[in-house]
Amino acid sequence: MTAWKMTIGIECHVQLATKTKLFSPANNDARDQEPNSVVHPIDYGLPGMLPILNREAVTLAVRAAKALNAKVAEISRFDRKHYFYPDLPMGYQITQMYQPTIGAGFIDVPLLSGELMKVRIHHAHIESDAGKQTHYNDYTLVDLNRAGTPLIEIVSEADMHSPSEARAYCSELYRLMTYAGVTHGDLYHGNMRFDVNISVAPEDSNVLGKRAEVKNLNSFRSVEKAAEYEYRRQVELLEKGEAVVQETRGWDDAKQKTISQRSKEDAQDYRYMPDADIPPILLTQEEIEVIQSKVGMLPQDYRQIFTTLSIDDSVVTTLLSSQEHAHAVYEVHKNKPEFASRVANWFASVFKGVDDNSADFASAVTPKSTDLIALAKMTADSKLSSTAAKEVFLALVAGETDSEAIAVSRNLLQVSDESAIIAIVDEVLADPASQQSVLDIKAGNEKAIGFLVGQIMKKSQGKANPSMAQKLLRERLGL
Amino acid sequence: MHTISRDDIIKLATLSSLKLTDEEIDSLQVDVGNILSYVEQLNELDTKDVTPAYQVTGLSNVFRKDVINSGEVSREQLLALAPDSQDLQIKVPKVL
Repeated sequence: MTAWKMTIGIECHVQLATKTKLFSPANNDARDQEPNSVVHPIDYGLPGMLPILNREAVTLAVRAAKALNAKVAEISRFDRKHYFYPDLPMGYQITQMYQPTIGAGFIDVPLLSGELMKVRIHHAHIESDAGKQTHYNDYTLVDLNRAGTPLIEIVSEADMHSPSEARAYCSELYRLMTYAGVTHGDLYHGNMRFDVNISVAPEDSNVLGKRAEVKNLNSFRSVEKAAEYEYRRQVELLEKGEAVVQETRGWDDAKQKTISQRSKEDAQDYRYMPDADIPPILLTQEEIEVIQSKVGMLPQDYRQIFTTLSIDDSVVTTLLSSQEHAHAVYEVHKNKPEFASRVANWFASVFKGVDDNSADFASAVTPKSTDLIALAKMTADSKLSSTAAKEVFLALVAGETDSEAIAVSRNLLQVSDESAIIAIVDEVLADPASQQSVLDIKAGNEKAIGFLVGQIMKKSQGKANPSMAQKLLRERLGL
Repeated sequence: MHTISRDDIIKLATLSSLKLTDEEIDSLQVDVGNILSYVEQLNELDTKDVTPAYQVTGLSNVFRKDVINSGEVSREQLLALAPDSQDLQIKVPKVL
Protein backbone atom coordinates (compact mmCIF):
# COMPACT_ATOMS: atom_id res chain seq x y z
CA MET A 1 0.00 0.00 0.00
CA THR A 2 1.25 3.43 -0.91
CA ALA A 3 1.42 5.94 1.90
CA TRP A 4 -0.15 9.23 0.84
CA LYS A 5 0.69 12.76 1.82
CA MET A 6 -1.71 15.65 1.42
CA THR A 7 -0.67 19.21 0.68
CA ILE A 8 -2.90 22.18 1.38
CA GLY A 9 -2.73 25.85 0.42
CA ILE A 10 -5.43 28.32 1.40
CA GLU A 11 -6.74 31.57 -0.04
CA CYS A 12 -8.68 33.57 2.48
CA HIS A 13 -10.97 36.51 1.70
CA VAL A 14 -11.20 38.91 4.62
CA GLN A 15 -13.88 41.59 4.61
CA LEU A 16 -12.35 44.88 5.73
CA ALA A 17 -13.97 46.77 8.61
CA THR A 18 -14.50 50.01 6.69
CA LYS A 19 -17.63 52.11 6.91
CA THR A 20 -17.92 52.45 3.13
CA LYS A 21 -17.11 50.33 0.12
CA LEU A 22 -13.75 50.06 -1.59
CA PHE A 23 -14.49 52.53 -4.38
CA SER A 24 -17.86 54.05 -3.50
CA PRO A 25 -19.32 55.91 -0.49
CA ALA A 26 -22.13 53.35 -0.06
CA ASN A 27 -22.60 51.80 3.40
CA ASN A 28 -20.37 48.73 3.70
CA ASP A 29 -22.56 47.10 6.35
CA ALA A 30 -24.97 45.05 4.24
CA ARG A 31 -26.08 42.81 7.10
CA ASP A 32 -29.85 42.53 7.36
CA GLN A 33 -30.36 45.30 4.82
CA GLU A 34 -33.06 45.14 2.17
CA PRO A 35 -31.76 44.02 -1.24
CA ASN A 36 -30.04 46.68 -3.34
CA SER A 37 -30.42 49.32 -0.62
CA VAL A 38 -26.69 50.03 -0.09
CA VAL A 39 -25.61 50.38 -3.69
CA HIS A 40 -23.97 53.40 -5.26
CA PRO A 41 -23.97 54.02 -9.04
CA ILE A 42 -20.25 53.10 -8.94
CA ASP A 43 -21.09 49.63 -7.59
CA TYR A 44 -23.89 49.40 -10.12
CA GLY A 45 -21.30 49.80 -12.86
CA LEU A 46 -23.02 52.72 -14.52
CA PRO A 47 -21.07 54.16 -17.45
CA GLY A 48 -19.09 57.28 -16.63
CA MET A 49 -18.74 56.56 -12.91
CA LEU A 50 -15.30 57.14 -11.45
CA PRO A 51 -14.29 54.80 -8.63
CA ILE A 52 -12.23 56.53 -5.92
CA LEU A 53 -10.21 54.44 -3.50
CA ASN A 54 -11.20 54.39 0.18
CA ARG A 55 -8.12 55.45 2.20
CA GLU A 56 -9.23 53.39 5.17
CA ALA A 57 -9.09 50.17 3.13
CA VAL A 58 -5.41 50.85 2.44
CA THR A 59 -4.80 51.59 6.11
CA LEU A 60 -6.43 48.31 7.14
CA ALA A 61 -4.35 46.42 4.56
CA VAL A 62 -1.22 47.95 6.07
CA ARG A 63 -2.39 46.80 9.51
CA ALA A 64 -3.00 43.31 8.11
CA ALA A 65 0.55 43.28 6.77
CA LYS A 66 1.86 43.73 10.29
CA ALA A 67 -0.14 40.74 11.57
CA LEU A 68 1.13 38.70 8.60
CA ASN A 69 4.79 39.67 9.17
CA ALA A 70 4.67 40.90 5.59
CA LYS A 71 6.31 43.72 3.73
CA VAL A 72 4.11 46.55 2.49
CA ALA A 73 4.79 47.53 -1.11
CA GLU A 74 5.88 51.11 -1.54
CA ILE A 75 4.11 51.11 -4.90
CA SER A 76 0.96 49.08 -5.46
CA ARG A 77 -1.63 49.16 -8.23
CA PHE A 78 -5.06 47.93 -9.20
CA ASP A 79 -5.91 45.74 -12.18
CA ARG A 80 -9.11 44.66 -13.84
CA LYS A 81 -9.99 40.97 -13.83
CA HIS A 82 -12.62 40.36 -16.47
CA TYR A 83 -15.30 37.75 -16.33
CA PHE A 84 -18.93 37.60 -17.28
CA TYR A 85 -21.33 37.01 -14.44
CA PRO A 86 -24.55 38.77 -13.41
CA ASP A 87 -23.20 39.55 -9.92
CA LEU A 88 -20.44 41.67 -11.45
CA PRO A 89 -22.10 44.60 -13.19
CA MET A 90 -18.87 46.24 -14.37
CA GLY A 91 -17.84 43.07 -16.22
CA TYR A 92 -14.60 43.07 -14.26
CA GLN A 93 -13.45 42.87 -10.68
CA ILE A 94 -11.01 45.50 -9.46
CA THR A 95 -8.13 43.61 -7.84
CA GLN A 96 -4.33 43.67 -7.58
CA MET A 97 -2.77 41.13 -9.92
CA TYR A 98 0.74 42.42 -10.49
CA GLN A 99 1.68 44.76 -7.66
CA PRO A 100 -0.31 43.88 -4.54
CA THR A 101 -0.11 46.09 -1.45
CA ILE A 102 0.95 43.24 0.84
CA GLY A 103 4.02 41.19 -0.05
CA ALA A 104 5.40 37.90 1.24
CA GLY A 105 5.19 37.10 4.96
CA PHE A 106 4.46 34.27 7.37
CA ILE A 107 2.44 33.39 10.43
CA ASP A 108 3.19 31.01 13.28
CA VAL A 109 0.22 28.78 13.87
CA PRO A 110 -0.21 27.03 17.24
CA LEU A 111 -1.16 23.39 16.78
CA LEU A 112 -3.07 21.18 19.20
CA SER A 113 0.23 19.53 20.11
CA GLY A 114 1.42 22.88 21.44
CA GLU A 115 3.98 23.22 18.65
CA LEU A 116 4.09 26.18 16.29
CA MET A 117 3.75 25.59 12.54
CA LYS A 118 5.13 28.23 10.24
CA VAL A 119 2.92 28.95 7.22
CA ARG A 120 4.37 31.26 4.61
CA ILE A 121 2.17 33.92 3.06
CA HIS A 122 2.77 34.35 -0.67
CA HIS A 123 1.14 37.79 -0.78
CA ALA A 124 -2.19 39.46 -0.03
CA HIS A 125 -4.06 41.78 -2.35
CA ILE A 126 -6.90 44.27 -2.00
CA GLU A 127 -9.98 43.68 -4.15
CA SER A 128 -13.70 44.36 -4.37
CA ASP A 129 -16.36 41.75 -3.73
CA ALA A 130 -19.16 40.81 -6.15
CA GLY A 131 -22.90 40.85 -5.50
CA LYS A 132 -25.11 37.98 -4.45
CA GLN A 133 -27.19 35.80 -6.74
CA THR A 134 -30.18 33.72 -5.76
CA HIS A 135 -31.09 31.10 -8.34
CA TYR A 136 -34.66 30.07 -9.07
CA ASN A 137 -36.01 27.59 -11.60
CA ASP A 138 -35.55 29.60 -14.76
CA TYR A 139 -34.21 32.95 -13.57
CA THR A 140 -31.82 34.51 -11.10
CA LEU A 141 -32.24 37.49 -8.77
CA VAL A 142 -29.27 39.74 -8.10
CA ASP A 143 -28.67 41.77 -4.95
CA LEU A 144 -25.73 44.15 -5.28
CA ASN A 145 -25.49 45.15 -1.60
CA ARG A 146 -22.21 43.31 -1.26
CA ALA A 147 -20.83 44.49 -4.60
CA GLY A 148 -17.80 46.68 -4.04
CA THR A 149 -17.20 45.56 -0.46
CA PRO A 150 -13.46 45.80 0.27
CA LEU A 151 -11.63 42.53 0.81
CA ILE A 152 -8.08 41.41 1.17
CA GLU A 153 -7.30 38.01 -0.23
CA ILE A 154 -4.52 36.33 1.73
CA VAL A 155 -2.75 33.66 -0.31
CA SER A 156 -0.76 31.10 1.65
CA GLU A 157 1.95 28.83 0.34
CA ALA A 158 1.06 25.14 0.27
CA ASP A 159 2.60 24.59 3.71
CA MET A 160 -0.11 22.56 5.41
CA HIS A 161 -0.35 18.78 5.36
CA SER A 162 -3.43 17.75 7.34
CA PRO A 163 -7.04 18.86 7.82
CA SER A 164 -6.32 19.89 11.42
CA GLU A 165 -3.37 22.03 10.31
CA ALA A 166 -5.63 23.71 7.75
CA ARG A 167 -8.18 24.42 10.45
CA ALA A 168 -5.52 25.71 12.84
CA TYR A 169 -4.19 28.06 10.14
CA CYS A 170 -7.66 29.46 9.43
CA SER A 171 -8.44 30.07 13.10
CA GLU A 172 -5.10 31.77 13.73
CA LEU A 173 -5.66 33.94 10.65
CA TYR A 174 -9.06 34.83 12.08
CA ARG A 175 -7.49 35.81 15.40
CA LEU A 176 -4.76 37.84 13.72
CA MET A 177 -7.18 39.72 11.49
CA THR A 178 -9.67 40.49 14.26
CA TYR A 179 -7.00 41.45 16.80
CA ALA A 180 -5.33 43.77 14.29
CA GLY A 181 -8.71 45.43 13.71
CA VAL A 182 -8.68 44.53 10.02
CA THR A 183 -12.11 42.87 10.03
CA HIS A 184 -15.14 42.56 12.28
CA GLY A 185 -14.70 38.81 11.82
CA ASP A 186 -18.42 38.12 11.63
CA LEU A 187 -18.18 34.61 10.22
CA TYR A 188 -21.93 34.17 10.21
CA HIS A 189 -22.16 36.98 7.66
CA GLY A 190 -19.24 35.70 5.61
CA ASN A 191 -16.59 38.17 6.81
CA MET A 192 -13.96 35.50 6.21
CA ARG A 193 -14.26 32.94 3.42
CA PHE A 194 -11.76 30.25 2.59
CA ASP A 195 -10.81 28.60 -0.70
CA VAL A 196 -8.84 25.46 0.09
CA ASN A 197 -6.49 23.84 -2.46
CA ILE A 198 -5.91 20.19 -1.71
CA SER A 199 -3.74 17.63 -3.45
CA VAL A 200 -2.52 14.17 -2.61
CA ALA A 201 0.72 12.48 -3.68
CA PRO A 202 2.74 9.42 -2.61
CA GLU A 203 4.60 10.25 0.59
CA ASP A 204 8.04 9.90 -1.00
CA SER A 205 7.15 11.92 -4.11
CA ASN A 206 8.72 15.33 -4.76
CA VAL A 207 5.95 16.25 -7.15
CA LEU A 208 2.58 17.51 -5.92
CA GLY A 209 -0.55 15.75 -7.11
CA LYS A 210 -3.29 17.39 -9.20
CA ARG A 211 -5.24 19.65 -6.91
CA ALA A 212 -8.88 20.35 -6.33
CA GLU A 213 -9.96 23.73 -5.02
CA VAL A 214 -12.88 23.73 -2.58
CA LYS A 215 -14.35 27.22 -2.72
CA ASN A 216 -16.25 29.46 -0.38
CA LEU A 217 -15.98 27.72 2.98
CA ASN A 218 -17.12 30.00 5.78
CA SER A 219 -16.19 28.17 8.95
CA PHE A 220 -13.05 26.57 10.37
CA ARG A 221 -14.95 23.35 10.83
CA SER A 222 -16.02 23.15 7.19
CA VAL A 223 -12.39 23.77 6.13
CA GLU A 224 -11.31 20.77 8.19
CA LYS A 225 -14.19 18.56 7.05
CA ALA A 226 -13.77 19.47 3.38
CA ALA A 227 -10.04 18.65 3.57
CA GLU A 228 -10.79 15.30 5.23
CA TYR A 229 -13.35 14.48 2.56
CA GLU A 230 -11.05 15.51 -0.31
CA TYR A 231 -8.22 13.41 1.08
CA ARG A 232 -10.43 10.33 1.15
CA ARG A 233 -11.87 11.04 -2.30
CA GLN A 234 -8.52 11.66 -3.95
CA VAL A 235 -6.77 8.70 -2.31
CA GLU A 236 -9.65 6.46 -3.39
CA LEU A 237 -9.29 7.65 -7.01
CA LEU A 238 -5.52 7.23 -7.01
CA GLU A 239 -5.68 3.76 -5.48
CA LYS A 240 -8.12 2.71 -8.20
CA GLY A 241 -5.53 3.95 -10.69
CA GLU A 242 -7.70 6.88 -11.75
CA ALA A 243 -6.62 10.51 -12.09
CA VAL A 244 -7.67 13.45 -9.96
CA VAL A 245 -9.08 16.20 -12.17
CA GLN A 246 -7.90 19.73 -11.51
CA GLU A 247 -11.16 21.49 -10.78
CA THR A 248 -13.21 23.75 -8.56
CA ARG A 249 -15.48 22.06 -6.05
CA GLY A 250 -18.13 23.29 -3.64
CA TRP A 251 -18.86 22.07 -0.12
CA ASP A 252 -22.28 20.71 0.73
CA ASP A 253 -22.47 21.13 4.48
CA ALA A 254 -25.65 19.08 4.86
CA LYS A 255 -24.19 16.10 3.01
CA GLN A 256 -20.63 16.71 4.33
CA LYS A 257 -19.11 16.25 0.88
CA THR A 258 -17.55 18.26 -1.92
CA ILE A 259 -19.21 18.51 -5.32
CA SER A 260 -17.62 19.26 -8.68
CA GLN A 261 -18.46 22.76 -9.91
CA ARG A 262 -16.31 23.43 -12.92
CA SER A 263 -13.20 21.94 -14.36
CA LYS A 264 -10.07 23.99 -14.93
CA GLU A 265 -10.04 22.55 -18.44
CA ASP A 266 -12.21 25.46 -19.53
CA ALA A 267 -10.13 27.81 -17.44
CA GLN A 268 -11.20 31.42 -17.60
CA ASP A 269 -9.09 33.94 -19.41
CA TYR A 270 -9.42 36.95 -17.17
CA ARG A 271 -7.62 39.40 -19.50
CA TYR A 272 -5.97 41.21 -16.60
CA MET A 273 -5.06 44.79 -17.40
CA PRO A 274 -4.12 47.84 -15.35
CA ASP A 275 -7.14 49.79 -14.12
CA ALA A 276 -6.60 53.20 -15.62
CA ASP A 277 -9.21 54.75 -13.31
CA ILE A 278 -7.22 54.14 -10.14
CA PRO A 279 -3.86 55.85 -9.78
CA PRO A 280 -1.18 53.86 -7.94
CA ILE A 281 -0.87 53.80 -4.16
CA LEU A 282 2.48 55.16 -2.95
CA LEU A 283 3.32 54.59 0.70
CA THR A 284 6.39 55.85 2.53
CA GLN A 285 8.12 53.85 5.26
CA GLU A 286 7.14 56.58 7.74
CA GLU A 287 3.44 56.29 6.86
CA ILE A 288 3.60 52.51 7.13
CA GLU A 289 5.27 52.73 10.54
CA VAL A 290 2.72 55.23 11.87
CA ILE A 291 -0.17 52.97 10.83
CA GLN A 292 1.44 49.80 12.13
CA SER A 293 2.41 51.35 15.46
CA LYS A 294 -1.33 51.60 16.21
CA VAL A 295 -1.86 47.85 15.94
CA GLY A 296 -2.44 46.60 19.46
CA MET A 297 -1.52 43.28 21.01
CA LEU A 298 -1.70 40.27 18.70
CA PRO A 299 -2.67 36.71 19.73
CA GLN A 300 0.94 35.67 20.29
CA ASP A 301 1.40 38.55 22.78
CA TYR A 302 -1.56 37.39 24.87
CA ARG A 303 -0.50 33.77 24.51
CA GLN A 304 2.89 34.59 25.97
CA ILE A 305 1.29 36.11 29.09
CA PHE A 306 -1.38 33.43 29.49
CA THR A 307 1.14 30.61 29.45
CA THR A 308 2.63 32.09 32.63
CA LEU A 309 -0.72 31.63 34.39
CA SER A 310 -1.53 28.22 35.77
CA ILE A 311 -4.36 27.53 33.35
CA ASP A 312 -5.02 24.74 30.87
CA ASP A 313 -4.03 25.08 27.21
CA SER A 314 -7.67 24.53 26.34
CA VAL A 315 -8.60 27.54 28.50
CA VAL A 316 -6.04 29.67 26.65
CA THR A 317 -7.46 28.54 23.32
CA THR A 318 -11.01 29.38 24.32
CA LEU A 319 -9.95 32.79 25.63
CA LEU A 320 -8.06 33.68 22.48
CA SER A 321 -11.03 33.00 20.22
CA SER A 322 -12.19 36.47 21.22
CA GLN A 323 -9.84 39.42 21.38
CA GLU A 324 -12.16 41.14 23.84
CA HIS A 325 -12.10 38.18 26.21
CA ALA A 326 -8.33 37.87 25.94
CA HIS A 327 -7.94 41.57 26.60
CA ALA A 328 -10.28 41.49 29.60
CA VAL A 329 -8.16 38.77 31.21
CA TYR A 330 -5.01 40.68 30.25
CA GLU A 331 -6.38 43.78 32.02
CA VAL A 332 -7.19 41.76 35.13
CA HIS A 333 -3.69 40.28 35.03
CA LYS A 334 -2.14 43.73 34.70
CA ASN A 335 -3.99 45.12 37.73
CA LYS A 336 -4.53 42.08 39.96
CA PRO A 337 -2.38 39.23 38.68
CA GLU A 338 -3.56 36.95 41.48
CA PHE A 339 -7.10 36.95 40.02
CA ALA A 340 -6.19 36.30 36.36
CA SER A 341 -6.47 32.49 36.40
CA ARG A 342 -9.79 32.58 38.19
CA VAL A 343 -11.24 35.02 35.63
CA ALA A 344 -9.72 33.08 32.72
CA ASN A 345 -11.45 29.93 33.93
CA TRP A 346 -14.83 31.69 34.13
CA PHE A 347 -14.52 32.76 30.52
CA ALA A 348 -13.51 29.28 29.47
CA SER A 349 -16.30 27.58 31.40
CA VAL A 350 -18.92 29.80 29.78
CA PHE A 351 -17.54 30.00 26.25
CA LYS A 352 -15.88 26.64 25.78
CA GLY A 353 -17.53 24.80 22.96
CA VAL A 354 -19.61 27.82 22.02
CA ASP A 355 -19.32 28.25 18.26
CA ASP A 356 -17.65 31.63 17.54
CA ASN A 357 -20.00 31.74 14.65
CA SER A 358 -23.14 31.57 16.76
CA ALA A 359 -25.59 34.27 17.72
CA ASP A 360 -24.99 33.44 21.42
CA PHE A 361 -21.35 34.35 21.03
CA ALA A 362 -22.09 37.50 19.10
CA SER A 363 -24.62 38.80 21.62
CA ALA A 364 -22.43 38.17 24.69
CA VAL A 365 -21.04 41.28 26.37
CA THR A 366 -17.43 41.35 27.54
CA PRO A 367 -17.50 42.42 31.20
CA LYS A 368 -15.39 45.40 32.30
CA SER A 369 -12.17 44.45 34.04
CA THR A 370 -13.22 46.39 37.15
CA ASP A 371 -16.34 44.21 37.44
CA LEU A 372 -14.26 41.09 36.90
CA ILE A 373 -11.76 42.11 39.57
CA ALA A 374 -14.58 42.93 42.02
CA LEU A 375 -16.15 39.54 41.34
CA ALA A 376 -12.84 37.71 41.76
CA LYS A 377 -12.22 39.56 45.04
CA MET A 378 -15.63 38.66 46.46
CA THR A 379 -14.97 35.05 45.57
CA ALA A 380 -11.47 35.07 47.05
CA ASP A 381 -12.88 36.62 50.25
CA SER A 382 -15.45 33.80 50.44
CA LYS A 383 -18.30 36.23 50.01
CA LEU A 384 -19.48 34.18 47.05
CA SER A 385 -19.52 30.43 46.51
CA SER A 386 -18.08 29.25 43.19
CA THR A 387 -21.59 28.52 41.92
CA ALA A 388 -22.75 32.00 42.90
CA ALA A 389 -19.68 33.55 41.26
CA LYS A 390 -20.53 31.82 38.02
CA GLU A 391 -24.06 33.15 38.23
CA VAL A 392 -22.78 36.70 38.63
CA PHE A 393 -20.36 36.18 35.73
CA LEU A 394 -23.22 35.03 33.51
CA ALA A 395 -25.17 38.15 34.47
CA LEU A 396 -22.17 40.31 33.48
CA VAL A 397 -21.92 38.49 30.15
CA ALA A 398 -25.63 39.12 29.62
CA GLY A 399 -24.93 42.85 29.90
CA GLU A 400 -25.49 43.68 33.57
CA THR A 401 -22.86 45.71 35.39
CA ASP A 402 -21.56 46.05 38.97
CA SER A 403 -20.74 42.60 40.33
CA GLU A 404 -21.55 43.53 43.91
CA ALA A 405 -24.97 44.90 43.03
CA ILE A 406 -25.72 41.75 41.03
CA ALA A 407 -24.70 39.53 43.96
CA VAL A 408 -26.85 41.54 46.35
CA SER A 409 -29.91 41.75 44.12
CA ARG A 410 -29.81 37.99 43.50
CA ASN A 411 -29.29 37.30 47.21
CA LEU A 412 -26.05 35.41 46.55
CA LEU A 413 -23.72 36.79 49.19
CA GLN A 414 -22.51 34.17 51.63
CA VAL A 415 -23.18 34.76 55.27
CA SER A 416 -19.81 35.09 56.98
CA ASP A 417 -21.21 36.86 59.99
CA GLU A 418 -20.37 34.58 62.96
CA SER A 419 -23.40 35.37 65.09
CA ALA A 420 -25.77 34.67 62.20
CA ILE A 421 -24.13 31.33 61.49
CA ILE A 422 -23.97 30.38 65.18
CA ALA A 423 -27.72 30.88 65.36
CA ILE A 424 -28.19 28.40 62.52
CA VAL A 425 -25.67 25.97 64.04
CA ASP A 426 -27.59 26.00 67.30
CA GLU A 427 -30.85 25.51 65.48
CA VAL A 428 -29.47 22.47 63.67
CA LEU A 429 -27.97 21.00 66.86
CA ALA A 430 -31.31 21.41 68.63
CA ASP A 431 -33.13 19.53 65.89
CA PRO A 432 -34.02 15.97 67.02
CA ALA A 433 -33.05 14.72 63.52
CA SER A 434 -29.46 15.73 64.26
CA GLN A 435 -29.09 13.79 67.47
CA GLN A 436 -27.84 10.54 65.94
CA SER A 437 -25.09 12.45 64.11
CA VAL A 438 -24.09 14.28 67.26
CA LEU A 439 -23.77 10.94 69.07
CA ASP A 440 -21.76 9.50 66.14
CA ILE A 441 -19.38 12.46 66.19
CA LYS A 442 -18.89 12.22 69.91
CA ALA A 443 -18.17 8.50 69.44
CA GLY A 444 -15.34 9.56 67.15
CA ASN A 445 -17.01 9.30 63.72
CA GLU A 446 -16.03 12.70 62.33
CA LYS A 447 -17.59 11.94 58.96
CA ALA A 448 -20.98 12.74 60.44
CA ILE A 449 -19.89 16.40 60.59
CA GLY A 450 -20.52 16.56 56.85
CA PHE A 451 -24.18 15.73 57.36
CA LEU A 452 -24.58 18.52 59.91
CA VAL A 453 -22.76 21.06 57.74
CA GLY A 454 -25.13 20.04 54.96
CA GLN A 455 -28.09 20.76 57.22
CA ILE A 456 -26.65 24.17 58.09
CA MET A 457 -26.17 24.99 54.38
CA LYS A 458 -29.72 23.89 53.69
CA LYS A 459 -31.19 26.03 56.46
CA SER A 460 -29.19 29.03 55.27
CA GLN A 461 -30.36 28.41 51.69
CA GLY A 462 -26.80 27.83 50.61
CA LYS A 463 -25.55 31.18 51.78
CA ALA A 464 -23.61 30.23 54.89
CA ASN A 465 -19.87 30.19 54.37
CA PRO A 466 -19.28 26.42 54.56
CA SER A 467 -15.81 26.52 56.13
CA MET A 468 -16.98 28.95 58.77
CA ALA A 469 -20.03 26.79 59.47
CA GLN A 470 -17.78 23.79 59.98
CA LYS A 471 -15.44 25.71 62.26
CA LEU A 472 -18.28 26.99 64.46
CA LEU A 473 -19.92 23.59 64.54
CA ARG A 474 -16.70 22.01 65.76
CA GLU A 475 -16.35 24.68 68.45
CA ARG A 476 -19.92 24.02 69.66
CA LEU A 477 -19.27 20.29 69.82
CA GLY A 478 -16.02 20.90 71.69
CA LEU A 479 -13.89 19.18 69.02
CA MET B 1 -4.09 30.93 -43.72
CA HIS B 2 -5.92 32.26 -40.70
CA THR B 3 -4.13 33.97 -37.82
CA ILE B 4 -6.67 32.57 -35.36
CA SER B 5 -8.02 29.04 -35.22
CA ARG B 6 -11.66 27.99 -35.29
CA ASP B 7 -11.20 26.46 -31.83
CA ASP B 8 -9.96 29.78 -30.49
CA ILE B 9 -13.12 31.48 -31.77
CA ILE B 10 -15.25 28.82 -30.11
CA LYS B 11 -13.34 29.27 -26.86
CA LEU B 12 -13.75 33.06 -27.02
CA ALA B 13 -17.46 32.59 -27.56
CA THR B 14 -17.67 30.28 -24.53
CA LEU B 15 -15.81 32.78 -22.36
CA SER B 16 -18.16 35.53 -23.51
CA SER B 17 -21.22 33.29 -22.99
CA LEU B 18 -22.19 33.68 -26.66
CA LYS B 19 -23.90 31.02 -28.75
CA LEU B 20 -22.58 31.16 -32.35
CA THR B 21 -23.80 29.44 -35.50
CA ASP B 22 -21.27 27.75 -37.82
CA GLU B 23 -21.58 30.64 -40.28
CA GLU B 24 -20.91 33.17 -37.52
CA ILE B 25 -17.83 31.22 -36.43
CA ASP B 26 -16.54 31.23 -40.02
CA SER B 27 -17.05 34.93 -40.50
CA LEU B 28 -15.67 35.82 -37.06
CA GLN B 29 -12.57 33.76 -37.79
CA VAL B 30 -11.93 36.08 -40.75
CA ASP B 31 -12.85 39.28 -38.91
CA VAL B 32 -10.98 38.58 -35.68
CA GLY B 33 -8.01 37.35 -37.77
CA ASN B 34 -7.96 40.66 -39.65
CA ILE B 35 -8.13 42.65 -36.41
CA LEU B 36 -5.25 40.65 -34.97
CA SER B 37 -3.11 41.19 -38.08
CA TYR B 38 -3.82 44.89 -37.91
CA VAL B 39 -2.87 45.15 -34.23
CA GLU B 40 0.17 43.00 -34.86
CA GLN B 41 1.79 45.93 -36.68
CA LEU B 42 2.58 47.23 -33.19
CA ASN B 43 5.08 44.40 -32.86
CA GLU B 44 7.29 46.20 -35.36
CA LEU B 45 8.09 48.80 -32.71
CA ASP B 46 11.06 48.21 -30.44
CA THR B 47 9.78 48.74 -26.87
CA LYS B 48 12.83 47.31 -25.13
CA ASP B 49 13.67 50.51 -23.23
CA VAL B 50 10.15 51.81 -22.81
CA THR B 51 8.64 51.57 -19.32
CA PRO B 52 5.09 50.19 -19.29
CA ALA B 53 2.41 52.89 -19.11
CA TYR B 54 0.06 51.81 -16.36
CA GLN B 55 -1.35 55.27 -16.11
CA VAL B 56 -1.32 58.40 -18.24
CA THR B 57 -2.40 60.98 -15.68
CA GLY B 58 0.74 60.96 -13.54
CA LEU B 59 -1.47 61.00 -10.46
CA SER B 60 -0.97 58.90 -7.35
CA ASN B 61 -2.77 58.41 -4.03
CA VAL B 62 -6.17 59.63 -5.07
CA PHE B 63 -8.15 58.75 -1.99
CA ARG B 64 -11.60 59.24 -0.57
CA LYS B 65 -12.41 59.57 3.15
CA ASP B 66 -14.32 56.66 4.65
CA VAL B 67 -17.60 58.56 5.02
CA ILE B 68 -20.98 57.16 4.01
CA ASN B 69 -22.96 59.04 1.39
CA SER B 70 -26.09 57.18 0.44
CA GLY B 71 -28.16 60.08 -0.72
CA GLU B 72 -27.29 60.39 -4.39
CA VAL B 73 -29.42 57.83 -6.16
CA SER B 74 -32.34 55.77 -4.90
CA ARG B 75 -32.77 52.03 -5.23
CA GLU B 76 -35.87 52.63 -7.37
CA GLN B 77 -33.87 54.73 -9.82
CA LEU B 78 -31.17 52.06 -10.08
CA LEU B 79 -33.61 49.17 -10.45
CA ALA B 80 -35.48 51.11 -13.13
CA LEU B 81 -32.31 50.91 -15.27
CA ALA B 82 -32.37 47.11 -15.24
CA PRO B 83 -34.32 45.36 -18.02
CA ASP B 84 -36.31 43.48 -15.39
CA SER B 85 -36.63 43.36 -11.62
CA GLN B 86 -38.53 41.43 -8.97
CA ASP B 87 -38.66 41.60 -5.15
CA LEU B 88 -36.32 44.64 -5.10
CA GLN B 89 -33.71 42.62 -7.01
CA ILE B 90 -32.44 42.61 -10.57
CA LYS B 91 -33.93 39.74 -12.54
CA VAL B 92 -31.61 38.07 -15.02
CA PRO B 93 -31.49 34.84 -16.99
CA LYS B 94 -29.96 32.00 -15.02
CA VAL B 95 -26.20 31.69 -15.63
CA LEU B 96 -24.46 28.87 -13.80
